Amino acid sequence: MKEEEVKELVMELSFAVGISGSEESATAAASRHLERYVTRVWRDRLGNLIAFKEGDKPGEEPFSLALVAHIDEIGAMVTKIEEGGALRFTGVGGIDPRILPGQPVEVHGRTLLKGVVGAKAPHLLSEKERREASKFEDLFIDIGLTKEQAEKQVRIGDLVSFDAPPLAMTAGKNIAGKSLDDRAGVAALVICAAELAAARHRANIYFVASVQEEVGLRGATTAAYGLVPDLAVAIDVTHGEAPGLTPPDVFELGGGPAIAVGPNFHPALTARLEELARDNRFSIQREADTGVPGTDAWVIQVSREGIPAALLSIPLRYMHTTVEMLSLDDLINTGRLLAAFARSLDRPFVEGLACF
Amino acid sequence: MKKFNEVAINKMETLIKELVEAYGPSGEEAAVRELIEEKIKDSVDRTFTDNLGNLFAIREGAAPLLMFSAHMDEIGVIVTHIDDNGFLRIAPIGGVAPHLLVGQRLSFKNGVTGTVYHEKIKALKELDWPKLYLDIGAAGAAAAREHIRIGDMACLHQPFVNLGGRYMAKAMDDRIGCAVLVEAARRLPGSLPQGVCFVFSVQEEVGLRGATTAAYRLEPDYGFAVDVTLVGDTPEAPLMAVSLGQGPAIKVKDRSVLCHPRVRELMIETAEKHKIPYQLEVLERGGTDAGAIHLSREGVPSGAISIPCRYVHSPSEMVDAGDVAHAVELIEKIIMVSWPLPDSGSGA
Repeated sequence: MKEEEVKELVMELSFAVGISGSEESATAAASRHLERYVTRVWRDRLGNLIAFKEGDKPGEEPFSLALVAHIDEIGAMVTKIEEGGALRFTGVGGIDPRILPGQPVEVHGRTLLKGVVGAKAPHLLSEKERREASKFEDLFIDIGLTKEQAEKQVRIGDLVSFDAPPLAMTAGKNIAGKSLDDRAGVAALVICAAELAAARHRANIYFVASVQEEVGLRGATTAAYGLVPDLAVAIDVTHGEAPGLTPPDVFELGGGPAIAVGPNFHPALTARLEELARDNRFSIQREADTGVPGTDAWVIQVSREGIPAALLSIPLRYMHTTVEMLSLDDLINTGRLLAAFARSLDRPFVEGLACF
Repeated sequence: MKKFNEVAINKMETLIKELVEAYGPSGEEAAVRELIEEKIKDSVDRTFTDNLGNLFAIREGAAPLLMFSAHMDEIGVIVTHIDDNGFLRIAPIGGVAPHLLVGQRLSFKNGVTGTVYHEKIKALKELDWPKLYLDIGAAGAAAAREHIRIGDMACLHQPFVNLGGRYMAKAMDDRIGCAVLVEAARRLPGSLPQGVCFVFSVQEEVGLRGATTAAYRLEPDYGFAVDVTLVGDTPEAPLMAVSLGQGPAIKVKDRSVLCHPRVRELMIETAEKHKIPYQLEVLERGGTDAGAIHLSREGVPSGAISIPCRYVHSPSEMVDAGDVAHAVELIEKIIMVSWPLPDSGSGA
């Protein structure tokens, strides 16, 4: 894919809405792109989008590779309609109350309703309030309706998404937007699928846009069980460098995807990814991961009898805000590295994964 | 004149009373299981138990298969040490707040009863497990060891009380769910649109463990947990739009599950069609069996019906009789809906 196409793709995916548990419109967007390059596309019982491309493997026992990136995004859910019509809410996934006041939102009620997260004017803050960051229990959404009007439109449990169109930086190759965690990973799946469209590969490939990652790696749990791949790579985001942050917590934007190393990741997969990056002159970074259950790779590794897993992470600044920022170069490199990895696989490599 | 608490006890109340007063901390659910099996066996085609102690009660039928799960276990304590004077040291089984135990009576499976008290403390915030002990009235270590061993479990000892339309007891979480399922099973007609399995699960309070293996074994097409939920209708309660007496709650979300949107909508439609009052529940703490069921194997679209309950995990959990009756009715109607066959998931 050309850089301009990748830019459009990632911006479209960023703007799509798919809060954990209700990912349909985001999966539909991902599906429209993936289906051009694969044999068939379907959704499983939890809503995971699976795009399957058959391998080219004359006379060889088939094996399969799953490439998994999560399609869900963090958001909010209405918990109560107050007397004056204000909506109280809770987070779905790890939303940060510090960034919410003043945020435009959309409430997914009986119709789609524009709203804002209200904030006290600075003039009206007490000394104590001025010093403290906002807390969930003080926050509310204003949709400009009275309680009676709101009750006709909104029910407890309705979802709230951020109304935040993505931005392409005027200069350079950075894109900012909501949900790039992990629509960037989903975009990498599409780039990989496009790269493989005319290429030969022996592996059967499942491109999986997994659901409910932000609430506990749930979609990947059932997808891995259902697909039983021989090996898998999760594609997610990691923290990008920014003022006040230093390595090893953060990674350079434009420095390439971070390849995770640690107990959660099969050493032969990690080594193969690094070797291919070197041979193809893709920039990469290396991330030591001590084994915190942070990504889909965590549940894939222990599915059924065990699935060798690796993790590629795209550096992303300002994670879990509406201005998450990435570099298009990192995204393109990630997609291309995945494609090179898929092409490199053969039966002996897969059989060798059980030999330590 | 009748005294306030002397309200006629109907058949379901008797069932609830028997269930909540039974002994059954997580891992020790046998007495509850036997009681439920006895009560439900005439309403179903067959019953069986699995290796973990889950009880299954099946109404055979065509696909799809609906699984309803209510947990039999309750919170309690486990004996960790018996000191030289015969006092027992204890640790929690499930989410037990130490301050709620002080002065409470606890009973063991063998009937031994005692009370919990604490060592000398300067402030209430010091009240934690190492400061608590259980006194069974034993005059020394040898006397205590005659009845109790390390690892024995005890649960709260409290009678069921009908407060006049509201019920109060220990272990309402989740014997009330068990009672609702037993009563729903009893009311079902001879012919059902699909198969149903009522699961009475073990070890929910320690991590949804019984429901995990039960769902794996059953491979249901849809899962429903029937459990209690918290309320926001008590003085200065944490913000929550669920109240006692406003009907059973159809769960949207808790810490363990985001209920499947289509399952939730079908439950709401069913309640509205039959004019059964209901509330929508967003629970910011806690989880339920649906959390385990929906992640079983390739995934099971799941939802939950909750009975609003005050003072959950205390010796005096309180529910509303109307909510209980409406929960039975809602489950009965949900079972009578023809559920669509879910997508195969294989993409074929």
